[in-house]
Amino acid sequence: MVKEVHKVVKESGGYRIIIANSATSIDDNNKKDVVVDGSHFGLNVGQYALQAKIRGMIGNDAGIGLEEAGIAGLKLLGQHGVPGAAVSCMSAKIGNGTATYEEGVISVANETAKILGITKGMSAKEAADKMFEAALKQK
Amino acid sequence: MQHGQQKVVKTSGKSRIIIVETSSDVNESNSNDIIVTGSHQGSGSYLAGCKVKGAIGNDAGKGKQDAGIAGLKLLDEQGIPAAAVGNMTAKIGNGDSTYEQGNISAVNEAARKLGISEGMSAKEAADKMLQALAR
Repeated sequence: MVKEVHKVVKESGGYRIIIANSATSIDDNNKKDVVVDGSHFGLNVGQYALQAKIRGMIGNDAGIGLEEAGIAGLKLLGQHGVPGAAVSCMSAKIGNGTATYEEGVISVANETAKILGITKGMSAKEAADKMFEAALKQK
Repeated sequence: MQHGQQKVVKTSGKSRIIIVETSSDVNESNSNDIIVTGSHQGSGSYLAGCKVKGAIGNDAGKGKQDAGIAGLKLLDEQGIPAAAVGNMTAKIGNGDSTYEQGNISAVNEAARKLGISEGMSAKEAADKMLQALAR
């Protein structure tokens, strides 16, 4: 598979907000990044995010679905103190990271994200900024 | 099932039904295979690039501009049968769930020609795609 080239939309002191179409494209190189992606936020996506040790993630809720599988990864990240949020599948086109960032409206946030002031109804952009600011403070 | 793995559930001649957690686990070696994936059916371009012989994924609630099933059309343009299961019937991100629990919610024309229709189990739909290759 050809490695996806991420778009960097914000950068400060080595920390970044990056956009990816697929959450499978993130790895160890994204340790200082808040990742905004086009993928669903299923359990497997949460696992990829934990392995890569990213600073925060915003994905698509995929309609939430059976046993809330579309946001199961969000909860997993919350258990590890990593902020995560999902945008409504009716607000942004799944599979398209730029749509998540530019058009997405948050439908669900995990506990860690809520502590940062991220709430349902907020734009993905604003939510990503809050995760980014938190990452900068933590360094 | 783990990232990077492919589970073979059925073989017919040189073709197989393969389960993957994410479509990104598919590669060029799958050019004779039917892929059952936990991913949404949003893009299709990656699977089409791997020249797979059929694909079943999750409709991800379909969502804005039917983005969750946009890949079905793209695969159809390549003559590749493809279908999606309803996101309330199978857990997205879990290919085993797509295969074992999924019920078809959307099909492309190439799949419809094989007798695959809404409401069918993903397993039956995958079988029909595999049988079509044996003909």
